[in-house]
Amino acid sequence: MQAAAAVMEVTMSLNEPSAAASRVEVADDVDEESLAEVMRVVPLGAGVLAGSAVALLVLGYLAIYLLVFLPRGTVG
Amino acid sequence: MSELHPEIHERRILGTELLWAVGVGILIAATLSTIVFTALTRDINPPSNVERIDPKTLHLSGEFTEQNLGTTVDADGAVTARVIATQFTFVPRCIAVPEGRRITMRFAAPDVIHGLLITGTNVNSMVVPGFVSQVHTEFTRTGHLLMPCHEYCGLGHSEMWATVQVVPQNEFKPDQDRRVACAKR
Repeated sequence: MQAAAAVMEVTMSLNEPSAAASRVEVADDVDEESLAEVMRVVPLGAGVLAGSAVALLVLGYLAIYLLVFLPRGTVG
Repeated sequence: MSELHPEIHERRILGTELLWAVGVGILIAATLSTIVFTALTRDINPPSNVERIDPKTLHLSGEFTEQNLGTTVDADGAVTARVIATQFTFVPRCIAVPEGRRITMRFAAPDVIHGLLITGTNVNSMVVPGFVSQVHTEFTRTGHLLMPCHEYCGLGHSEMWATVQVVPQNEFKPDQDRRVACAKR
C-alpha cells in the first residue's frame, strides 16, 4: 500500500495542473554535444543499412540474370 | 551546436535524399539498359506476336488441322512446331525439335486460356483463344523437357502437359512429308 502511494506521488500529483509537470513526463536533460554526435552518426548508419540492402538485392538480380536467365537461351 | 543549426541540418538531409535518388536512378537506368542490351545482343525478348485466328474453326481448316500439327521442316530448312492447347492436353503431346537450331513454335487454343513454359529454357507464353502464340527459340542441350500448362484451365489442368524432345541435329531427320515425330523411348 505504501509502495502504491509512493508511485502515485512520483507519477502524478493532484495539485499539478498537467501531467507534463510530473517528473517522469519531463524529457531527459539533453547533452547538446552528444545529440550532435548522434545526429551525425545515425543518418550515416541508416544510409549504410539501406545501401547494403539494395546492394544485396542488385547482387541477387545479377546472379539470377547471369547464371540462370542468360544460359537458358534465346527467346522472342 | 552549429552542426545542429536547422538550416544546415535540413540541407544535409536534402543532400542525402538527393544522393539516394541519384543512386536509385542509376540502378533503374542500369536495369533498363540490361533489358535493352539483352534484347539487342542476345535476342531475348518477350514473345510479342499478334495474330488472329478463329477458335471455332481451328480444327477444321487452315494451319492447325490435325495433319499439320507437330514439327515440320520447310523447304528452306526452317523448323516450325505447331501445337494446339486444349482442355486438358497439348496436341501433339510430344514435340521433336533439333538442338542448336533456331525454331518457331506456334500455339493456338480452341476453348479457354492456357499457358505454357518449357523447363530449363526461357520459353514462356500464354495461349489465348482467338490468337496464335508464337515463340522463337533455340534449344542448347538435348534431352526431354517438360512443358506443362501454367494457366489454370479447369479441373484437369494439373494433367495437362507435354514433352519437348530435343535431339542432336544429326538425328533430326524429316520424313518424306517433311515432318519429324518424337522417337519412341
